Order: sequence, then structure tokens, then C-alpha cells
Amino acid sequence: MFYVYLVILAVVLALTVWVLFDTKKLSLQITAAMVIVPLLLRLLMIK
Amino acid sequence: MQKHRITAIVCFAGALVASALAGASFLSMRKPDLIVRGPGVTEKKMLSEWFSGLKGTAGDTEVYVMRGSDDGASMLILGGTHPNEPAGHLAAILFIENVVPRTGTLYVIPRANASGFTANDPQEGAPQRFTIQTPNGPRVFSYGSRATNPIHQWPDPNVYIHASSGQTLSGSETRNLNRGYPGRPDGTLTEKVCYGIVQLIRQQKVTITVDLHEASPEYPVINAIVAHPKAMQLASDTVLGLEMQDIKISLEPSPVNLRGLSHRELGDFTDTLPVLMETANASQGRLRGRTDEALVLTGKDKWYVRAAKLGRLYVPYDEHGHPLEERVGRHVTAISELMNSWNLEHPEMPLEVEGVPDYEGLLTKGVGAYLLPPK
Amino acid sequence: MSQEFWLFVLMIGVFAAGCFALKWPVSVSMLLAATAGALAGGVQDPVRHLVEGTFGYVDTILTIATAMMFMTGFRDSGALEALTAAVIKKFHKWPGVLMVLLTFVIMVPGMITGSSTASVLTAGAVVAPMFASMGISTVDAGALISIAAILGMIAPPVNIPAMIIGGGIDMPYVGFELPLVLLTFPLAVVFALWFGWRKVRHMDRTKVLASLDFSTLSRYGGWRLFSPIILIFVLMVLDKVVPRVFGLGMPLIFIIGTVSTWVTGKRFNIVQSAKKSIEDVLPVLGILVGVGMFIQIMTATGVRGFIVVNALSVPPALLYAMIAISIPLFGAISAFGSASVLGVPFMLALLGRDQIIAAAALSLIAAIGDFMPPTALAAIFAAKVVGLEKYGTVLKKLVIPTLIIIVYAILFIVFSKQIRAVL
Repeated sequence: MFYVYLVILAVVLALTVWVLFDTKKLSLQITAAMVIVPLLLRLLMIK
Repeated sequence: MQKHRITAIVCFAGALVASALAGASFLSMRKPDLIVRGPGVTEKKMLSEWFSGLKGTAGDTEVYVMRGSDDGASMLILGGTHPNEPAGHLAAILFIENVVPRTGTLYVIPRANASGFTANDPQEGAPQRFTIQTPNGPRVFSYGSRATNPIHQWPDPNVYIHASSGQTLSGSETRNLNRGYPGRPDGTLTEKVCYGIVQLIRQQKVTITVDLHEASPEYPVINAIVAHPKAMQLASDTVLGLEMQDIKISLEPSPVNLRGLSHRELGDFTDTLPVLMETANASQGRLRGRTDEALVLTGKDKWYVRAAKLGRLYVPYDEHGHPLEERVGRHVTAISELMNSWNLEHPEMPLEVEGVPDYEGLLTKGVGAYLLPPK
Repeated sequence: MSQEFWLFVLMIGVFAAGCFALKWPVSVSMLLAATAGALAGGVQDPVRHLVEGTFGYVDTILTIATAMMFMTGFRDSGALEALTAAVIKKFHKWPGVLMVLLTFVIMVPGMITGSSTASVLTAGAVVAPMFASMGISTVDAGALISIAAILGMIAPPVNIPAMIIGGGIDMPYVGFELPLVLLTFPLAVVFALWFGWRKVRHMDRTKVLASLDFSTLSRYGGWRLFSPIILIFVLMVLDKVVPRVFGLGMPLIFIIGTVSTWVTGKRFNIVQSAKKSIEDVLPVLGILVGVGMFIQIMTATGVRGFIVVNALSVPPALLYAMIAISIPLFGAISAFGSASVLGVPFMLALLGRDQIIAAAALSLIAAIGDFMPPTALAAIFAAKVVGLEKYGTVLKKLVIPTLIIIVYAILFIVFSKQIRAVL
């Protein structure tokens, strides 16, 4: 289950990065950047 | 390049920098603390030697075996069941570094939940480590998380169901070592650690098990010994012995309906006599003020002083706080008294040790005076 | 005044300035408020603390993100519209009963998962167009959906705030079912009729039926079209009943549901649909991340302790007033956080009461936190599913129901022993 959840997390992370580079709204870009941090650190199994 | 592309790159780079800075800080907790082998340690083993399912996992942890020259009773001391309760962890370390058994055997696990020492609980603002000054220089110890690190056991279920009783608790309790006993060989990592500890107790026929904890000052069971019914006599003799030394401690029976805890399940599922001990730790409480290394070491906290005046606490609390040396001293002295009480009742199978740091000495000289220099 | 007081003022001030004066999003304002608090409070290793706080919500982020993907997929497959048509056609003769039943339906996912967000984004999203067809205004529908969602989160069998409060005083989660049923279902009936009765009584049935589009329904058939929602429901129930075998967890259940929407109805681009859902939900995920940072800094600097001890400082006579005010207010940051940080100390202050009934009632008050801005998860998502851009109008509609819920819960605490005597 651990790895299944890492895959789900990777999907959410990838979509968030996509939105960051796709949107024209700066506020949404900053928000996406904030959300990316915990997702990335969990994906890398650091925290 | 379009403007929004540039801002996107800047934001993404910001996220990467923040991840790198925080990540480096998180990774720094992976290094285990130095524990010096004292003169009484005869062997250093791993818990996986009693349950091979733990081998190579983050749950495997050191077991210090301290065998006396003569046979006698045995005792298992569990420190670090909750890595955010440092007095239990340090009391176990003081036994490893100072105590020499004469008769009987001590098994000491200083980091019962080894995984929990590699992370902090989110939103608790806890320090990652604290430093104790010793005559030979500073020694640094981890201040961890109450529960298993989620990178070793994830995701939590919505509801935690205790395996052998079916009792339900909130999902995050799945990673709480002291809700997982007697454990399962094919369960979660936390349940496997519980199972490993149960196997050690069974295979070594451990006579007495002491699980060392701390509690928030607003928590009713504090400065207390919680004992399984079959350890009640031993525990009540211990409480009397401590009263003689002016150490006030209460005795609580292990509740029948609260499952998964060491003082309940180890007594029900093994032949050991289990007791659990609590001291007052402000740094894990809900009423605490600034949370830092100083709070861990001194227990001084103005909000707890105020809460005590409001009658909201279960321990006396004043400007002097409850320093680490007092909390460690209570644990160490209580374990020593537990042995005395056992020996009085069972002279045929004694558990006799030397070198236990004394309460007054800890209060005056501090914990650091009893920590050995690195070899 | 203490240093913590001024730090609290600074953090709230920076947040308010960011949010209201500079019109920054809530997430960014929270980040700046937490950063200001960390710097002014002299927190060591501030970046570590800010990032660590966000981890309190990683699981919630996954649940919300995947639930949103499912909801978007279910809508894009045409199933949502078709389900509205089918239900209204079947039950339009008994509008009052329909209102109450639909309210119970919204509660179900919350009852099973313990999450108000799950309720709003699944059943709430399904029911919202039905309310619209029955003539209920979007604002009223949003308000009712958010109320039903928090009542569902508190109703048994799964109530996470009660588990958190119980865990704090070593009380197992046993024997809560009946008190929780009494706390939630009467309120659900009252609010279903409160928001719906005047409108649905005069519903023009022929006009309503004529406005419904049955084309997708007749093309794919109900069973096939609605199977994703049935699948989700079955998986949620299995997750609760046989967790050892089907303990999939909410995010995985929603992912399975999302994939199933792709093959059961109108074809749509699932990748674009998933991306759109993340884009829609990102502001909320950002709020959670910002709130996590905010709580971590509040705790590290001692502001949390300042709030809790001051809340406990009132004389006994005012204790209930303090419970009624402080738990929902702290819930503005996090309902679960409020259950832990304030719910547990208040529970200890109430030890003379019947513990289970008192904890159950406190959990209901904590759940109100999901109405409180800036997080206001239940209200924000309810506004989203009924199609409102801003959730402020929904919040206004929630003021009186909120007061009723709090008074009802406080009465349960005051008369806990008498209630226990008749149970």
C-alpha cells in the first residue's frame, strides 16, 4: 500500500507542477509551489 | 520568454530551494545518537535476533544485554517507546552506561521505537535534538516523534483497529508503539516491533518489564506507576519504598478496557510483570509556551505555572519547572526501588545491580555527570 | 501583555493585511504571517519549521485532490446530470421527504470516512443539482450541503474529532454511537426543512420535470452510468467493515472511482479532467499548507499555549461560553487541530460530566470549525459544488444554524448525566 500511495502522490504532484507551469495567475503559481514542497519531500521519502 | 513562464520557473525554483533546505534538516535526524557501552554491558544485540522479520527495517533496534556473574531474575527496560518523552530514553541510557549487574540479567532497549527518533511530529514545533553538558564535553540526543516515522509506515488508516481486541482509536495511533502490543508478525512495522519485544520477553523469560514514559502535566496519569494486576503487589511495594525517599508517586491499575498498552498486553500475553512509569514533561503538553531545547531540559514554562494556579494540572508546577535531571532521577530511582522490592520478596532469585545513579546526585550534579566519554 | 500576545497580534495582522488590504490569496497570506511570526519569535531553523508544519496535511491533501478528481470525472462523464434527472423523476411527489432523505444522503460519506470534505465532494456534488432543480437557491443549497457534511463527519460510525479527544484522555472510542446519533440526526432533519420546506412545497412539478435532460441516462442506462458512485460507496463501506482486506483508504478509493468514470459514461479526456480538478482545488490545498505552517509557528513560539491557557482561565461559570467560542474559532485554522489542542484540555476540565456524551458534544462543536474562514473547508467546497465563485454568501446563511448547533451541543454537555440516565 505504501508504494501505491507514493504513486497517487506522484500523480498529484505531477498535476500540480503542470498547473504551475500552465497557469498565467501568479497567485496560483505561488500556491502550487507551496503545495509542491511537502509532496516532493514525501515522494523522495525524506519526511 | 513569456512572463508567466518566468514567474513559474522562479516559483518552482523557490519550492526546490525550500525542499532542499528543509530536507537537509530532516535528513540530519537519521543519524542515531551515540550510546557508550558501559562496564555492565556484556552483549549488544538487535531486536531482530528475537524476531527476524525486523531485520533490515527501520524498526530494528539495539538491545543491550547486561548479564550478572550469578543467575537471578531478569528485567527489560524500555526507553524511547515515545521518542518525544526524553526522560525515559535517557534513564535507559544511564542504566547502559553506569549499571553493573551482580545477579540476574538486564535487557535495555533505549530506542524502543527507533523509527520515531528519525522525525518530529508535524505542527508540534519540537526541537530536533537537545544537548547535555558532561565533564567530557557536550552529548547530543534526539528529540523525536511520539509515533513511527510516516516514511516507514504510511498511509494511516482512517481508524486504527487494535488487532487482538478490535478496539478502535484514531488512525494516527496505528503508529503508536504503546497501542500495538502484543503485536503481529505480519502486521505494520509498529506491530512488528511490538511483536519483537514480546518475543524477547518470552524467549528470555523476562521477569519484570518497565516501560518508561513521560506525560503532559495536564494529563491525569502522571508521576505515576501503572501496573498490570499481577504486578500490583510489586508496584505497591515500590511506591512505598519511593515514599520513604520523599518521592511522591501514585499507583494506577492498568485499565482493562484500554488495549494495546504495554502494562495491559504484556501482562496478558506473557509471563512478565509489566509496569509503566510516567513523569511530567512540559515539552509534549498542549498548554506549553515556547517550545525549544530549553523547555525540554528545564521544564520551565510560564503557561504551565499559570495553569497550575488555575487548578488545571495533575502535578505541582512552579517557576522551577520539572528539569530533565529530576524526571530521569525519578525513573532511575523507581527502577532501583522496583528491584529492591522484588529482592525482598524473592531472595531465592534476586536481581542485584551496582552503580545506579542516585536521585540526589542527579539533582545536584545533573544527568551529564553520569554520561560516559565517547570511546 | 505577554510576548506571545504581541506575536499573535503580529501574525493575525500580517494575515489580515495580506488577505484583505493587499488581496493576496489566503495561502500566501498564511505563509507570510507564519514567516513573520517565526522571525519575530526568534524560531531557530525557520525553514524546517515552516515546511514541517505542512506535513500535518499531506494525507488530507491527497484525499481532497483525489476526491476532486473523482467529482470532476463523474460530472464530465454526464453521470451527475443524469442522476439528478432520475432521482427527481422518481421522488418529485414527496418533496419534504425528498429534502430530508437527500440531506441524509449527503451525510453518508462523512459518516463512513469521518471527513466533511468527502461528503461535500461526493454526495454533496451529486445532490447539489437536485436541490437546484427543486427550486432551492444556490446559496441555500450550499449552506445545507455544508451543514449536512459536518453532521455526517460527526455522526457515527466514524467521528475523528471524538477519537482525537478520546485519545487525549485515554478514552477508547466505544459507546459513542447513540449519543452521536442524537446529536446529529435531529439537527439534520431540522436544517433540511429549514432550508428546503418553503421552496419545495410550492415546487412546480411539471416545469421541473420538463427542465430535466434524460438523454445521457437513456443512452447509457442508470446502472452503468451511476456505477462509479456505487463502487465508491461499496469500497468505503468495505474499508470500514473489513479494513484488513479492503483497507484501501480514501485517496485510493477515489482514484479507482475516477478511473471508473472514464469507462462508464460519455468519453472525456481524463488527464485534462484531472488537471482541471487540481487547478480548481489548488487554492484549498494551498490554504491547508499555509495553515500547517501557521500552526507550527504558533506552537514553536508559544502562541498556542497562550491561547489554550487563556481559554482555560475563565471562571467555571463561563467555561461553557469559552467552549462555545474558542473551539469553533480555533477551528478556523483546523477542526481536527481544535479538537486536539482545545478539545482535550476542555474535556479534562469537564471530567465530572458523562465523559462519552461530553466528548461527543465537544466533537460537534469542533466540527463547526469547518465553517470558519479562512479554512472553512465545508463551506468552500459546498460553494464550489453548487457553482458559486465566492463562499461568503454561504457563510452568512450558516450563522444562525451554527449558533443552534453550538447551543444544542452545549445543552448535551450541561445535561450529560440526565441524558445518560435515559439512554
